[in-house]
Amino acid sequence: MSYNMEKKSKSPIWFILLLLVLGGTLGMLVSFGVAVGVHETSDDKFCTSCHTMQPMADSYLADKHGGNNSKGLKVKCVECHLPHDGLANYLLAKAKTGLHDFRVQTFGDLNSIDWEAKRKHAKHFVYDSGCMSCHTNLRNATMSDPKAFIAHKEYFEGRTDKKCVECHKNVGHHILGDYLKK
Amino acid sequence: MLKRLLVVLAVVASGAMAASMGDVSSVKTLKVERGLTDAGKSCVECHAKETPGHVNDWKESRHGHVGVSCIDCHSVKKDNPMAAQNCPGVKGTDIYVSVLVSPKTCERCHPNEVKEFQHSGHARGALQVRSKKGMQALMHHFEGRDHPDLKNSPEATGCMQCHGTIIELDKDKRPTAETWPNYGIGNVYPDGGVGNCKSCHSAHKFSIEEARKPAACASCHLGPDHPDIEIYNNSMHGHIYNTEGSTWKYDSAPDAWEPGDYRAPTCATCHMSGIGNLKTTHNVSRRLKWNIWAPVSKLRDGGYETAVKDYEAGKITKGNALAGHKDGSKAGRAEMEQVCKSCHSTLHTKSFFKMADKHVELYNTYAKDAKKMIDELTKKGLMKKDKWSDEAFRIWYHLWHHQGRRMRQGALMGAPDYAHWHGVFELQQNIRELETVYNRRIKTGKIEE
Repeated sequence: MSYNMEKKSKSPIWFILLLLVLGGTLGMLVSFGVAVGVHETSDDKFCTSCHTMQPMADSYLADKHGGNNSKGLKVKCVECHLPHDGLANYLLAKAKTGLHDFRVQTFGDLNSIDWEAKRKHAKHFVYDSGCMSCHTNLRNATMSDPKAFIAHKEYFEGRTDKKCVECHKNVGHHILGDYLKK
Repeated sequence: MLKRLLVVLAVVASGAMAASMGDVSSVKTLKVERGLTDAGKSCVECHAKETPGHVNDWKESRHGHVGVSCIDCHSVKKDNPMAAQNCPGVKGTDIYVSVLVSPKTCERCHPNEVKEFQHSGHARGALQVRSKKGMQALMHHFEGRDHPDLKNSPEATGCMQCHGTIIELDKDKRPTAETWPNYGIGNVYPDGGVGNCKSCHSAHKFSIEEARKPAACASCHLGPDHPDIEIYNNSMHGHIYNTEGSTWKYDSAPDAWEPGDYRAPTCATCHMSGIGNLKTTHNVSRRLKWNIWAPVSKLRDGGYETAVKDYEAGKITKGNALAGHKDGSKAGRAEMEQVCKSCHSTLHTKSFFKMADKHVELYNTYAKDAKKMIDELTKKGLMKKDKWSDEAFRIWYHLWHHQGRRMRQGALMGAPDYAHWHGVFELQQNIRELETVYNRRIKTGKIEE
């Protein structure tokens, strides 16, 4: 009786512990996999593995943000092209845009895409939160330059809804228009 | 003796002229170090020799003070539709420049001014001209006689100098003579920018003082169809301005230009300034109750101007004739009354508008009666095909487009001579003339020879 009782009371604990360990390990493996996946699908090597993105890749590599600077630093595609205002938003946008690109790349008519027209609404796929996560000190850094101070004042005071890319038109892709024509 | 006197006079005169516009000869050797990059410096120094007037303007401008120079506004990325290297100073470098500077450049530092401007009727200036078949026919067919070589001169020398146009480039990316130079307010630039800051803040000084003086508006708002500068001069406001306006202060900071800086308002005071509790606005339609240029006056309850939005969506439209305050004509009038009350009593303000509004409504009775006759004649086939040779049409056109606007604008801006003699008096004549033509055609069933 007591043996039975002991066995009964013992087994759920072991079972729960086992579940926790297994679940934890599995969770770690999955999140490791996701982390690696997210990481591996964030840079120009992955994003430009389709020919469609060749002009964007070439113009990016010729640009300061693409490594054409004295330090050789590169900003990954996703730093600008995904929102940086929270992990959930980031992953959601990544999943959505990823699926969209996969669908269009596989089933869409790639020649019919008007890239110049898309550039006109770049503010919808270049995120200020991305810019500001690197240019963290921009507000103070431009105080001493009256030109930049005045240009950025309305932005930092929240009196305009203009986005970074609406003024900094070719940022990230050096003379993109030339590459799109080729 | 006489010869010597003449020489002395010439020297004195040239000295006086040089002083009045800044001494351009000294600009030619201008050297600037402060606040400019090497490239920026070389533009200023070379253009000081090549185009000293431009650089002289610039050095007196606020742009000059904060280190915004030629290159900051004129340089564009290589893939900009206006990018060129026609200037020998940049040829072969990685700098591309454009003669044209669009609001897309101005808005990088002045985003709200450009946005407000695009909410105003000013923004439709060029697009509406392009979209209206009647206007196109007037310029090219009736006035330009469809002449293969000469038909564009009416638009280039007239219409577009105030309305602006859709600017086109030749193969070297230089603007074509048919579309530039012009000072029109609604220019559409090849980069998609719409508007023209330089219409009121002339280049390259871009002065706030200039835009606050009636002259900035007067270069377009004049003449038989909208004599707004004449109306202003006829009003007590203009009377005071013309007496002592030269002693007033026009360079107070935006939103801080108030009564005391002036003793009577200019156009900009009422239509744009941040007087009292009001905020400054570049939407000149915002404080208006009525549309007082259309054949029949309606309340401005249409929200913001739409021409720029339409253009960005790929359509050229005549825009929104009832553009005004986003909350409607009542809100617009309330703001205008606030302007008046900065100097006048409530009784003065309310009574003034009460009678001015009645004059607008009286105009509408003339317009509706006249329109009814024209519509009936048209329906019965009693109007000529070539409307500009039709007597009835000509009377109707002048009734609403010339004297009808004078009547309404004269009333709402306090100009008795325009409300009356150039306005309603002409209308009572016109309606009688039109009735005569109408009765004759209805009676005979024929258009007179």
